[in-house]
Amino acid sequence: MSFSAIQIFLVFVVAFIVAIDQYNLLESLYQPIVTGAVIGAILGDLRTGLIVGGTYQLMTIGNMPVGGAQPPNAVIGGIMATVFAISSGLDATAAVGLAVPFALVGQYLITLLFTVMSPLMGVADKMAEHADTAGIARLNYLAMAALGALFGIVCVAGLIGGSALGDTLRAAAEQYSGIMNGLSAAGGMMRFVGFATLLRIMLSNELWGIYFAGFTLATVIGYIPEIAGSTLILVAFVGIAIALYDFQTRTALKAAGAGANHDGGEEDGI
Amino acid sequence: MASNATHYNNLTPAEPLDKKTLNQMVWRSLNLQASFNYERMQAAGWLYAILPGLKKIHGDNKEDLSLSMQHNLEFFNTHPFLVTFVMGIVLSLEQKKADINTIRAVRVAAMGPLGGIGDAIFWFTLVPITAGITANMAIGGSIAGPILFLLIFNLVQFAIRFFLMHWSYNLGTRAIDLLTANAREFTRAASMLGVFIVGALTSNYGGTTISLTIANGESPIVIQDILDGVLPKMIPLALTLMLYFLMKKKGWTPVKCIALLLVIGIAGGLVGIF
Repeated sequence: MSFSAIQIFLVFVVAFIVAIDQYNLLESLYQPIVTGAVIGAILGDLRTGLIVGGTYQLMTIGNMPVGGAQPPNAVIGGIMATVFAISSGLDATAAVGLAVPFALVGQYLITLLFTVMSPLMGVADKMAEHADTAGIARLNYLAMAALGALFGIVCVAGLIGGSALGDTLRAAAEQYSGIMNGLSAAGGMMRFVGFATLLRIMLSNELWGIYFAGFTLATVIGYIPEIAGSTLILVAFVGIAIALYDFQTRTALKAAGAGANHDGGEEDGI
Repeated sequence: MASNATHYNNLTPAEPLDKKTLNQMVWRSLNLQASFNYERMQAAGWLYAILPGLKKIHGDNKEDLSLSMQHNLEFFNTHPFLVTFVMGIVLSLEQKKADINTIRAVRVAAMGPLGGIGDAIFWFTLVPITAGITANMAIGGSIAGPILFLLIFNLVQFAIRFFLMHWSYNLGTRAIDLLTANAREFTRAASMLGVFIVGALTSNYGGTTISLTIANGESPIVIQDILDGVLPKMIPLALTLMLYFLMKKKGWTPVKCIALLLVIGIAGGLVGIF
C-alpha cells in the first residue's frame, strides 16, 4: 500500500502537533485514542484507526508519564501502530508490536533534546539579564518546533520505510546502547545542577540540618512501596509543620521581646 | 547565573493584576514544558507563562524586570495542570514587591507537593476512568470515543487551571498583608520549608544508580546494593553536594557543571557503569 503526498504531509502535520501536545497545548490530543482515529481518517480507514487507538490506549493506561519517567513513547507508538495496521492489514496487537522500535526512537530523541536544551538555559540567563522578554518567548517556541519536527520526521520515515525500517532502527539502537545509556544517565543527573543552584542561594549555614532532614524523610517514605507515590505531599506536611512552628516561635519571641522592652533585644543589632 | 540581589529597587506595590492578564497567563501556562530540559526542567516555560504579569508589575523599572526574570529562571518543576496555583501565589508576591528570597522560597515550597497531587488527580483517576470507558467505545468502532475523551479531559483541565489562578492570586494578595508585619520571620520559615523540599527532591527525583557488578562465582557483588546498604540514595546526595560545592566555592557556572556530567555520563555509559 502506498500513500499519496497529501497523506504523508498530513501525517507529518499530525505528528508535529501531537509531539508538542504531549507536554504542552491541551496535553490530551496525543493520547493514542485520539491519534489512532485521526491517522485512520487520513489514511482512509477510520474504523481500524479507532480500534488500534483504543487498544493502544488501554495498554498505556498503566504506563502514564508519572513523575517525569520516560516510558517508550506512546505518541509515536500510537501513530505507527495505526499506520502498520492499515498498511499491512495486521490486527491491532501485532501492529502495536511493530511500532515499538519507533516508540523507542521517539524516547531517545526526547532524551537527546532535553539534554541539548540544558546548556541553552545559559542563553536564557543572558536574556533574563537584559530583560529580553521576546527572547524568552522565542526560545520556548523554537524548542517546541524542534520537538515537533523530530517526531514528524520519524513518523514520515516510518510511513515510507515501513516496518523494515523498524528492524534497522532496533539494530542501530542496540549498537549504540552504551552511548544512549550514558546520555540517559547524564540527563538524569542534570537535575542535581538545578538543585545545587537553588541551594547555593537558599541554604544558609543554619539550614543544613533541614536539608538533610528533608532528604532523609523522602528517602524513608520512598522505600515504602504503598505510600511512595505520595512522598512529596507527606514530606510537605512535615515541612509545613516545622516552618509554621519556627514562624510562630519567632513571632512570639519578637512580641515578647517588644513587650518586655529590655535592652539588647534581637532587633537592636540589625 | 542568578543575581544575588535580595530585593527590588522599586518597592512600591504595583497595581493589582487585572482579570484579563491573569487569564492570558492561564493560556500561556499550557506551554509550561515548552523548553523542558534536564537541568532546570520547566524553568524557562514557567518564566514564559508569567511574563505578561511580570511586565505589568515591573514595567516601570527594567532593572527590576531583569532581577525578577533571573530568579524566575531557576530550577522549576511542578504538575503542569496545577501550575496556575503556584503562578497566582508568586505573582501576588511579585506585585507587592516582596523580598526576592521570600518569593523564591514560596515558589519552591509550593511547586514540590503539587506533583504528587496532580498525578493522583489526573494520571491515577481522571485518565484511567475516562480513557478506559472511551477506549472501549473506540474499539467498538465509535468515533464518539475520542471526542468524549477530549471533551471530558479538557473541561476538567481548564476548570482547574482557571480556578486555581484566580483563587491563589486572591489568596496570596490577602495573606501577604498579614505577613509583611513579620516579613523576616516569614522569609526564614519559607526558606526552611523550601530547603526541606529541595532535600526531599534530591532523594525523590534522584534516580541515578550504577549497574556495576564484580564477578564472584555464584553470587556476583552488586556495587549499588553495597552503596544502598551504607546510605540509600547516596549518589544523588553526593552529586548534589559536589555540584553545590563547585558552584558556591569554585564559582562554576551551571553550563560547566552540565558539561562535567555529560563527560561522566557518556564515559560511564561506554565503560558500563550506568
